[in-house]
Amino acid sequence: MSYQTFDFNSSITKKQIVALTGLVLIFFVVFHLAGNLFIYGGPAAFNGYVEKLDDLGVLKTIAEWGLFFVFGIHILTTAFLVLENIQARGISRYAVDNSKGPRSLATRLMPYSGSYLFLYVIWHLIDFSWADQQGPRSIIHGVSYGLYGVVVNAFKDPLHSMLYIIAMCFLGLHLAHGTQSFLQTFGFNDNRFTPCIKKFSRYFAVAMAAGYSSIPLYVLYVLKV
Amino acid sequence: MANKINLILKVWRQKNQESQGRFETYKALDIDTDMSFLEMLDVVNESLTKSGVDPIAFDHDCREGICGTCGAVINGQAHGPLKGTTLCQLHMRHFKDGQTLVIEPFRAKTFPIIKDLCVDRSAFDRIIQAGGFISVKTGQAPDAHAVPVPKDKVDWAMDAAACIGCGACVAACPNASAMLFVAAKASHLNVLPQGVPEKKSRTLNMVKQMDQEGFGNCSNEYECEAACPKEISVAHIARLNKDHRQAS
Repeated sequence: MSYQTFDFNSSITKKQIVALTGLVLIFFVVFHLAGNLFIYGGPAAFNGYVEKLDDLGVLKTIAEWGLFFVFGIHILTTAFLVLENIQARGISRYAVDNSKGPRSLATRLMPYSGSYLFLYVIWHLIDFSWADQQGPRSIIHGVSYGLYGVVVNAFKDPLHSMLYIIAMCFLGLHLAHGTQSFLQTFGFNDNRFTPCIKKFSRYFAVAMAAGYSSIPLYVLYVLKV
Repeated sequence: MANKINLILKVWRQKNQESQGRFETYKALDIDTDMSFLEMLDVVNESLTKSGVDPIAFDHDCREGICGTCGAVINGQAHGPLKGTTLCQLHMRHFKDGQTLVIEPFRAKTFPIIKDLCVDRSAFDRIIQAGGFISVKTGQAPDAHAVPVPKDKVDWAMDAAACIGCGACVAACPNASAMLFVAAKASHLNVLPQGVPEKKSRTLNMVKQMDQEGFGNCSNEYECEAACPKEISVAHIARLNKDHRQAS
Protein backbone atom coordinates (compact mmCIF):
# COMPACT_ATOMS: atom_id res chain seq x y z
CA MET A 1 0.00 0.00 0.00
CA SER A 2 1.41 3.35 -0.97
CA TYR A 3 0.88 6.69 0.64
CA GLN A 4 2.55 10.02 0.66
CA THR A 5 4.41 10.77 3.88
CA PHE A 6 3.78 14.51 3.88
CA ASP A 7 1.09 16.15 1.86
CA PHE A 8 1.06 19.92 2.06
CA ASN A 9 -2.18 19.97 0.08
CA SER A 10 -3.97 17.81 2.64
CA SER A 11 -6.95 19.60 4.13
CA ILE A 12 -5.84 18.67 7.65
CA THR A 13 -2.27 19.90 7.11
CA LYS A 14 -3.57 23.22 5.79
CA LYS A 15 -5.90 23.58 8.76
CA GLN A 16 -3.04 22.83 11.14
CA ILE A 17 -0.92 25.51 9.44
CA VAL A 18 -3.77 27.98 10.01
CA ALA A 19 -4.06 26.85 13.64
CA LEU A 20 -0.33 27.10 14.33
CA THR A 21 0.05 30.54 12.75
CA GLY A 22 -3.13 31.54 14.60
CA LEU A 23 -1.50 30.53 17.90
CA VAL A 24 1.52 32.73 17.15
CA LEU A 25 -0.85 35.62 16.41
CA ILE A 26 -2.73 34.97 19.68
CA PHE A 27 0.55 35.38 21.60
CA PHE A 28 1.27 38.54 19.61
CA VAL A 29 -2.16 39.95 20.45
CA VAL A 30 -1.51 39.37 24.19
CA PHE A 31 1.96 40.94 24.18
CA HIS A 32 0.83 43.83 22.00
CA LEU A 33 -1.98 44.62 24.43
CA ALA A 34 0.41 44.42 27.38
CA GLY A 35 2.60 47.00 25.66
CA ASN A 36 -0.31 49.24 24.66
CA LEU A 37 -1.52 49.43 28.26
CA PHE A 38 1.56 51.56 29.03
CA ILE A 39 -0.54 54.41 27.70
CA TYR A 40 -2.24 54.55 31.11
CA GLY A 41 1.16 55.45 32.58
CA GLY A 42 1.32 58.70 30.57
CA PRO A 43 3.64 59.88 27.76
CA ALA A 44 6.91 59.01 29.53
CA ALA A 45 5.90 55.41 30.24
CA PHE A 46 4.41 54.81 26.79
CA ASN A 47 7.23 56.43 24.81
CA GLY A 48 9.74 54.69 27.08
CA TYR A 49 8.21 51.35 26.08
CA VAL A 50 8.37 52.36 22.39
CA GLU A 51 12.05 53.33 22.79
CA LYS A 52 12.83 50.03 24.52
CA LEU A 53 11.34 48.19 21.53
CA ASP A 54 13.34 50.35 19.09
CA ASP A 55 16.52 49.64 21.08
CA LEU A 56 16.14 45.95 20.22
CA GLY A 57 17.33 46.91 16.72
CA VAL A 58 17.85 43.84 14.51
CA LEU A 59 15.84 41.64 16.86
CA LYS A 60 12.83 43.93 16.42
CA THR A 61 13.22 43.83 12.63
CA ILE A 62 13.43 40.01 12.67
CA ALA A 63 10.34 39.81 14.90
CA GLU A 64 8.42 42.17 12.60
CA TRP A 65 9.30 40.22 9.46
CA GLY A 66 8.51 36.99 11.27
CA LEU A 67 5.09 38.36 12.17
CA PHE A 68 4.48 39.51 8.59
CA PHE A 69 5.36 36.02 7.40
CA VAL A 70 3.10 34.30 9.94
CA PHE A 71 0.27 36.73 9.23
CA GLY A 72 0.63 36.20 5.48
CA ILE A 73 0.65 32.40 5.78
CA HIS A 74 -2.40 32.52 8.09
CA ILE A 75 -4.39 34.62 5.61
CA LEU A 76 -3.28 32.89 2.41
CA THR A 77 -3.89 29.37 3.73
CA THR A 78 -7.29 30.39 5.10
CA ALA A 79 -8.18 31.96 1.75
CA PHE A 80 -7.39 28.65 0.00
CA LEU A 81 -9.50 26.73 2.52
CA VAL A 82 -12.45 29.13 2.18
CA LEU A 83 -12.36 28.90 -1.62
CA GLU A 84 -12.31 25.10 -1.42
CA ASN A 85 -15.24 25.19 1.01
CA ILE A 86 -17.29 27.39 -1.30
CA GLN A 87 -16.59 24.99 -4.15
CA ALA A 88 -17.51 21.96 -2.03
CA ARG A 89 -20.83 23.44 -0.95
CA GLY A 90 -21.73 23.97 -4.59
CA ILE A 91 -24.04 26.50 -6.15
CA SER A 92 -27.28 25.16 -4.75
CA ARG A 93 -28.04 26.23 -1.19
CA TYR A 94 -30.79 25.10 1.16
CA ALA A 95 -34.02 27.01 0.82
CA VAL A 96 -34.32 27.20 4.61
CA ASP A 97 -31.34 28.33 6.71
CA ASN A 98 -32.04 26.56 9.96
CA SER A 99 -29.01 25.33 11.86
CA LYS A 100 -29.50 22.31 14.12
CA GLY A 101 -26.15 22.63 15.85
CA PRO A 102 -24.19 25.09 17.96
CA ARG A 103 -22.96 27.30 15.11
CA SER A 104 -22.31 30.62 16.83
CA LEU A 105 -22.13 34.15 15.45
CA ALA A 106 -18.36 34.11 16.00
CA THR A 107 -18.02 30.92 13.94
CA ARG A 108 -20.34 32.16 11.23
CA LEU A 109 -18.42 35.42 10.91
CA MET A 110 -14.87 33.97 10.88
CA PRO A 111 -14.08 34.80 7.22
CA TYR A 112 -15.65 38.26 7.56
CA SER A 113 -14.04 39.13 10.91
CA GLY A 114 -10.73 37.90 9.50
CA SER A 115 -11.09 40.01 6.34
CA TYR A 116 -11.96 43.13 8.35
CA LEU A 117 -8.97 42.52 10.62
CA PHE A 118 -6.69 42.10 7.60
CA LEU A 119 -7.75 45.48 6.19
CA TYR A 120 -7.62 46.99 9.66
CA VAL A 121 -4.04 45.80 10.28
CA ILE A 122 -2.85 47.47 7.05
CA TRP A 123 -4.51 50.74 8.10
CA HIS A 124 -3.22 50.36 11.68
CA LEU A 125 0.38 49.98 10.45
CA ILE A 126 0.12 53.11 8.29
CA ASP A 127 -1.78 54.94 11.03
CA PHE A 128 0.53 54.24 14.00
CA SER A 129 3.54 52.00 13.27
CA TRP A 130 4.78 53.89 10.22
CA ALA A 131 3.55 57.31 11.34
CA ASP A 132 6.01 60.20 11.72
CA GLN A 133 6.43 60.09 15.49
CA GLN A 134 7.74 63.66 15.69
CA GLY A 135 5.45 65.07 12.98
CA PRO A 136 2.36 67.27 13.28
CA ARG A 137 0.18 64.34 14.42
CA SER A 138 2.29 63.97 17.57
CA ILE A 139 1.77 67.56 18.74
CA ILE A 140 -0.51 68.31 21.68
CA HIS A 141 -0.78 72.00 22.64
CA GLY A 142 2.36 72.85 20.63
CA VAL A 143 4.56 70.11 22.14
CA SER A 144 5.50 66.84 20.39
CA TYR A 145 4.67 63.80 22.52
CA GLY A 146 6.04 61.21 20.11
CA LEU A 147 3.94 58.11 19.44
CA TYR A 148 1.90 58.87 22.57
CA GLY A 149 0.81 62.13 20.91
CA VAL A 150 -0.03 60.34 17.64
CA VAL A 151 -2.21 57.82 19.48
CA VAL A 152 -3.98 60.41 21.65
CA ASN A 153 -4.65 62.73 18.69
CA ALA A 154 -5.98 59.81 16.66
CA PHE A 155 -8.34 58.56 19.36
CA LYS A 156 -9.62 62.04 20.13
CA ASP A 157 -11.45 61.66 16.80
CA PRO A 158 -14.63 59.64 17.57
CA LEU A 159 -14.77 58.13 14.05
CA HIS A 160 -11.17 56.95 14.37
CA SER A 161 -11.96 55.41 17.75
CA MET A 162 -15.13 53.79 16.45
CA LEU A 163 -13.30 52.05 13.58
CA TYR A 164 -10.72 50.82 16.09
CA ILE A 165 -13.37 49.51 18.48
CA ILE A 166 -15.26 47.76 15.65
CA ALA A 167 -11.99 46.06 14.69
CA MET A 168 -11.44 44.99 18.29
CA CYS A 169 -14.99 43.54 18.46
CA PHE A 170 -14.17 41.52 15.35
CA LEU A 171 -10.88 40.52 17.00
CA GLY A 172 -12.87 39.26 19.99
CA LEU A 173 -15.23 37.27 17.77
CA HIS A 174 -12.29 35.86 15.82
CA LEU A 175 -10.51 34.83 19.02
CA ALA A 176 -13.65 33.32 20.59
CA HIS A 177 -13.74 30.69 17.84
CA GLY A 178 -10.06 30.60 16.96
CA THR A 179 -8.61 29.89 20.40
CA GLN A 180 -10.73 26.81 21.11
CA SER A 181 -10.52 25.73 17.47
CA PHE A 182 -6.75 25.50 17.66
CA LEU A 183 -6.89 22.65 20.16
CA GLN A 184 -9.52 20.69 18.21
CA THR A 185 -7.48 21.03 15.02
CA PHE A 186 -4.36 19.77 16.78
CA GLY A 187 -6.21 16.78 18.14
CA PHE A 188 -7.07 17.72 21.73
CA ASN A 189 -10.68 17.09 22.60
CA ASP A 190 -11.47 15.80 26.02
CA ASN A 191 -14.74 15.49 27.94
CA ARG A 192 -13.29 17.26 30.96
CA PHE A 193 -11.06 19.92 29.40
CA THR A 194 -12.89 20.90 26.21
CA PRO A 195 -15.84 22.63 27.97
CA CYS A 196 -13.32 24.58 30.11
CA ILE A 197 -11.30 25.50 27.04
CA LYS A 198 -14.44 26.74 25.27
CA LYS A 199 -15.31 28.86 28.28
CA PHE A 200 -11.74 30.17 28.55
CA SER A 201 -11.80 30.97 24.83
CA ARG A 202 -14.87 33.19 25.29
CA TYR A 203 -13.52 34.97 28.40
CA PHE A 204 -10.14 35.47 26.74
CA ALA A 205 -11.82 36.95 23.63
CA VAL A 206 -13.88 39.37 25.74
CA ALA A 207 -10.79 40.33 27.79
CA MET A 208 -8.75 41.07 24.66
CA ALA A 209 -11.52 43.05 22.94
CA ALA A 210 -12.24 45.00 26.15
CA GLY A 211 -8.55 45.58 26.88
CA TYR A 212 -7.83 47.05 23.45
CA SER A 213 -11.12 48.99 23.27
CA SER A 214 -10.46 50.54 26.67
CA ILE A 215 -7.65 52.64 25.15
CA PRO A 216 -9.71 54.77 22.71
CA LEU A 217 -12.51 55.00 25.31
CA TYR A 218 -9.98 56.23 27.90
CA VAL A 219 -8.58 58.82 25.47
CA LEU A 220 -12.05 59.96 24.39
CA TYR A 221 -13.81 60.17 27.75
CA VAL A 222 -11.24 60.16 30.57
CA LEU A 223 -7.97 61.70 29.39
CA LYS A 224 -7.91 65.48 29.69
CA VAL A 225 -5.46 67.15 27.31
CA MET B 1 -57.57 6.47 17.85
CA ALA B 2 -54.59 8.03 16.25
CA ASN B 3 -54.44 11.73 15.52
CA LYS B 4 -54.52 12.95 11.96
CA ILE B 5 -52.78 16.05 10.64
CA ASN B 6 -52.68 17.90 7.34
CA LEU B 7 -49.42 19.26 5.97
CA ILE B 8 -48.20 21.34 3.07
CA LEU B 9 -45.08 19.89 1.47
CA LYS B 10 -42.66 21.88 -0.65
CA VAL B 11 -40.61 19.12 -2.24
CA TRP B 12 -37.52 19.41 -4.40
CA ARG B 13 -38.28 17.75 -7.73
CA GLN B 14 -35.45 17.06 -10.14
CA LYS B 15 -35.79 14.67 -13.06
CA ASN B 16 -32.12 13.67 -13.27
CA GLN B 17 -28.58 14.84 -12.58
CA GLU B 18 -28.48 17.13 -15.61
CA SER B 19 -31.85 18.77 -15.28
CA GLN B 20 -32.67 21.90 -13.29
CA GLY B 21 -34.59 21.19 -10.10
CA ARG B 22 -37.48 23.15 -8.58
CA PHE B 23 -39.83 23.08 -5.62
CA GLU B 24 -43.32 21.64 -6.10
CA THR B 25 -46.08 22.07 -3.53
CA TYR B 26 -48.25 19.13 -2.50
CA LYS B 27 -50.86 18.61 0.19
CA ALA B 28 -50.42 15.71 2.60
CA LEU B 29 -53.91 15.12 3.99
CA ASP B 30 -55.08 12.92 6.87
CA ILE B 31 -51.58 11.92 7.93
CA ASP B 32 -51.55 9.57 10.89
CA THR B 33 -49.20 11.02 13.54
CA ASP B 34 -47.87 7.52 14.28
CA MET B 35 -46.49 7.27 10.77
CA SER B 36 -42.80 7.72 10.09
CA PHE B 37 -41.72 10.47 7.74
CA LEU B 38 -41.08 7.96 4.97
CA GLU B 39 -44.53 6.40 5.45
CA MET B 40 -45.99 9.87 5.07
CA LEU B 41 -44.08 10.20 1.78
CA ASP B 42 -45.46 6.76 0.76
CA VAL B 43 -49.00 8.05 1.32
CA VAL B 44 -48.31 11.21 -0.67
CA ASN B 45 -46.72 9.15 -3.45
CA GLU B 46 -49.81 6.93 -3.67
CA SER B 47 -52.03 9.91 -4.25
CA LEU B 48 -49.54 11.41 -6.72
CA THR B 49 -49.42 8.15 -8.66
CA LYS B 50 -53.23 7.94 -8.76
CA SER B 51 -53.39 11.46 -10.16
CA GLY B 52 -50.79 10.62 -12.82
CA VAL B 53 -47.89 12.55 -11.28
CA ASP B 54 -44.43 10.98 -11.03
CA PRO B 55 -43.97 9.90 -7.37
CA ILE B 56 -41.28 11.58 -5.23
CA ALA B 57 -38.07 9.54 -5.42
CA PHE B 58 -36.37 9.03 -2.06
CA ASP B 59 -33.77 6.59 -0.75
CA HIS B 60 -34.78 4.05 1.88
CA ASP B 61 -34.02 0.49 2.91
CA CYS B 62 -34.22 -0.86 6.46
CA ARG B 63 -36.52 1.84 7.87
CA GLU B 64 -35.10 0.95 11.29
CA GLY B 65 -32.44 3.66 11.48
CA ILE B 66 -29.50 1.33 10.99
CA CYS B 67 -28.71 1.17 7.28
CA GLY B 68 -27.93 4.81 6.49
CA THR B 69 -29.82 4.80 3.20
CA CYS B 70 -32.53 7.37 3.91
CA GLY B 71 -31.97 11.05 4.41
CA ALA B 72 -33.31 14.42 3.36
CA VAL B 73 -33.23 17.95 4.69
CA ILE B 74 -36.47 19.02 6.37
CA ASN B 75 -36.87 22.76 6.93
CA GLY B 76 -33.10 23.21 6.68
CA GLN B 77 -32.22 20.36 9.05
CA ALA B 78 -30.69 17.06 7.93
CA HIS B 79 -32.94 14.15 9.00
CA GLY B 80 -35.43 16.67 10.38
CA PRO B 81 -35.70 18.52 13.68
CA LEU B 82 -35.13 15.64 16.10
CA LYS B 83 -31.61 14.92 17.36
CA GLY B 84 -30.15 11.44 17.06
CA THR B 85 -32.79 10.26 14.60
CA THR B 86 -32.75 9.11 11.00
CA LEU B 87 -35.51 10.28 8.68
CA CYS B 88 -37.16 6.84 8.75
CA GLN B 89 -37.37 6.97 12.55
CA LEU B 90 -38.77 10.49 12.62
CA HIS B 91 -42.48 10.31 13.35
CA MET B 92 -45.17 12.69 12.21
CA ARG B 93 -46.20 13.41 15.80
CA HIS B 94 -43.29 15.86 15.89
CA PHE B 95 -45.02 18.12 13.38
CA LYS B 96 -48.00 20.40 13.82
CA ASP B 97 -51.26 20.34 11.91
CA GLY B 98 -51.14 22.78 9.01
CA GLN B 99 -47.33 23.04 9.09
CA THR B 100 -45.38 23.65 5.89
CA LEU B 101 -42.41 21.35 5.38
CA VAL B 102 -39.66 22.19 2.92
CA ILE B 103 -38.10 18.88 1.86
CA GLU B 104 -34.77 18.97 0.03
CA PRO B 105 -32.06 16.45 -0.82
CA PHE B 106 -28.68 16.45 0.95
CA ARG B 107 -26.85 19.18 -0.93
CA ALA B 108 -23.12 19.09 -1.67
CA LYS B 109 -21.03 19.12 -4.82
CA THR B 110 -19.78 15.67 -3.88
CA PHE B 111 -23.35 14.34 -3.53
CA PRO B 112 -24.84 14.89 -7.01
CA ILE B 113 -28.63 14.59 -7.11
CA ILE B 114 -29.74 11.49 -9.00
CA LYS B 115 -33.46 12.26 -8.81
CA ASP B 116 -35.64 14.32 -6.44
CA LEU B 117 -34.35 13.43 -2.94
CA CYS B 118 -31.93 10.68 -4.04
CA VAL B 119 -28.26 11.63 -4.03
CA ASP B 120 -25.17 9.74 -5.13
CA ARG B 121 -23.06 9.05 -2.04
CA SER B 122 -20.55 6.75 -3.76
CA ALA B 123 -17.75 9.17 -2.77
CA PHE B 124 -18.12 7.66 0.72
CA ASP B 125 -17.56 4.15 -0.70
CA ARG B 126 -14.35 5.28 -2.41
CA ILE B 127 -13.09 6.77 0.88
CA ILE B 128 -13.76 3.45 2.64
CA GLN B 129 -11.96 1.59 -0.17
CA ALA B 130 -8.97 3.93 0.18
CA GLY B 131 -8.75 2.91 3.84
CA GLY B 132 -7.68 -0.57 2.78
CA PHE B 133 -7.48 -3.75 4.83
CA ILE B 134 -6.81 -4.69 8.43
CA SER B 135 -4.42 -7.39 9.58
CA VAL B 136 -6.36 -10.44 10.75
CA LYS B 137 -5.44 -14.09 10.62
CA THR B 138 -7.52 -16.14 8.22
CA GLY B 139 -8.85 -19.52 9.18
CA GLN B 140 -11.15 -20.35 12.04
CA ALA B 141 -12.83 -17.60 14.01
CA PRO B 142 -10.45 -16.59 16.82
CA ASP B 143 -11.42 -16.92 20.44
CA ALA B 144 -13.27 -13.82 21.65
CA HIS B 145 -10.62 -13.12 24.31
CA ALA B 146 -7.59 -13.95 22.18
CA VAL B 147 -6.79 -10.26 21.65
CA PRO B 148 -7.33 -8.23 24.82
CA VAL B 149 -8.73 -4.75 24.16
CA PRO B 150 -9.00 -2.15 26.97
CA LYS B 151 -12.54 -1.05 27.81
CA ASP B 152 -12.01 2.64 26.93
CA LYS B 153 -10.72 1.67 23.48
CA VAL B 154 -13.63 -0.69 22.90
CA ASP B 155 -16.08 2.08 23.84
CA TRP B 156 -14.34 4.57 21.59
CA ALA B 157 -14.28 2.15 18.65
CA MET B 158 -17.92 1.15 19.15
CA ASP B 159 -19.04 4.78 19.30
CA ALA B 160 -17.25 5.44 16.02
CA ALA B 161 -18.53 2.23 14.45
CA ALA B 162 -22.10 3.44 15.01
CA CYS B 163 -21.64 5.60 11.88
CA ILE B 164 -24.12 4.42 9.25
CA GLY B 165 -22.61 6.55 6.47
CA CYS B 166 -25.83 8.41 5.74
CA GLY B 167 -24.09 11.66 4.77
CA ALA B 168 -26.02 13.96 7.11
CA CYS B 169 -22.69 15.33 8.38
CA VAL B 170 -21.80 16.51 4.88
CA ALA B 171 -25.31 17.84 4.29
CA ALA B 172 -25.29 19.84 7.53
CA CYS B 173 -21.73 21.16 7.32
CA PRO B 174 -21.55 24.73 5.97
CA ASN B 175 -18.43 23.60 4.09
CA ALA B 176 -19.81 20.21 2.97
CA SER B 177 -16.94 18.57 4.82
CA ALA B 178 -16.87 14.81 5.34
CA MET B 179 -14.54 14.95 8.34
CA LEU B 180 -16.97 13.37 10.82
CA PHE B 181 -17.61 10.42 8.49
CA VAL B 182 -13.91 9.89 7.72
CA ALA B 183 -13.00 10.40 11.38
CA ALA B 184 -15.55 7.81 12.52
CA LYS B 185 -14.46 5.26 9.91
CA ALA B 186 -10.73 5.74 10.62
CA SER B 187 -11.22 6.05 14.36
CA HIS B 188 -13.03 2.79 14.93
CA LEU B 189 -10.10 0.85 13.49
CA ASN B 190 -7.19 3.10 14.50
CA VAL B 191 -7.53 2.39 18.22
CA LEU B 192 -8.12 -1.37 18.01
CA PRO B 193 -5.17 -3.81 18.00
CA GLN B 194 -6.48 -5.29 14.75
CA GLY B 195 -6.36 -1.90 13.05
CA VAL B 196 -3.15 -0.48 14.46
CA PRO B 197 -0.65 -1.96 11.93
CA GLU B 198 -2.24 -0.01 9.02
CA LYS B 199 -3.18 3.05 11.06
CA LYS B 200 -0.76 5.39 9.30
CA SER B 201 -1.60 4.38 5.73
CA ARG B 202 -5.32 4.20 6.52
CA THR B 203 -5.36 7.72 7.93
CA LEU B 204 -3.35 9.31 5.14
CA ASN B 205 -5.10 7.48 2.31
CA MET B 206 -8.64 8.12 3.57
CA VAL B 207 -7.94 11.83 4.09
CA LYS B 208 -6.28 12.03 0.67
CA GLN B 209 -9.29 10.38 -0.97
CA MET B 210 -11.65 12.69 0.94
CA ASP B 211 -9.75 15.70 -0.42
CA GLN B 212 -9.67 14.31 -3.95
CA GLU B 213 -13.42 13.77 -3.92
CA GLY B 214 -13.82 17.52 -3.31
CA PHE B 215 -15.31 17.60 0.18
CA GLY B 216 -14.81 20.87 2.07
CA ASN B 217 -12.50 21.53 5.00
CA CYS B 218 -13.61 21.22 8.60
CA SER B 219 -13.84 24.60 10.31
CA ASN B 220 -14.94 23.25 13.70
CA GLU B 221 -18.53 24.43 13.46
CA TYR B 222 -19.85 21.13 14.89
CA GLU B 223 -23.03 21.12 12.81
CA CYS B 224 -22.13 17.56 11.79
CA GLU B 225 -22.31 16.29 15.36
CA ALA B 226 -25.75 17.90 15.81
CA ALA B 227 -27.07 16.39 12.58
CA CYS B 228 -25.57 12.92 13.06
CA PRO B 229 -28.38 10.42 13.70
CA LYS B 230 -25.92 8.31 15.68
CA GLU B 231 -24.66 11.34 17.64
CA ILE B 232 -21.02 10.66 16.85
CA SER B 233 -18.81 13.11 18.71
CA VAL B 234 -16.50 15.63 17.05
CA ALA B 235 -13.86 14.26 19.42
CA HIS B 236 -13.34 11.69 16.66
CA ILE B 237 -12.41 14.54 14.30
CA ALA B 238 -9.84 15.73 16.84
CA ARG B 239 -8.49 12.17 16.92
CA LEU B 240 -8.24 12.08 13.12
CA ASN B 241 -6.42 15.44 13.18
CA LYS B 242 -3.97 13.98 15.69
CA ASP B 243 -3.52 10.68 13.83
CA HIS B 244 -2.93 12.57 10.58
CA ARG B 245 -0.35 14.85 12.20
CA GLN B 246 1.48 11.86 13.63
CA ALA B 247 1.29 9.95 10.33
CA SER B 248 2.54 12.83 8.16
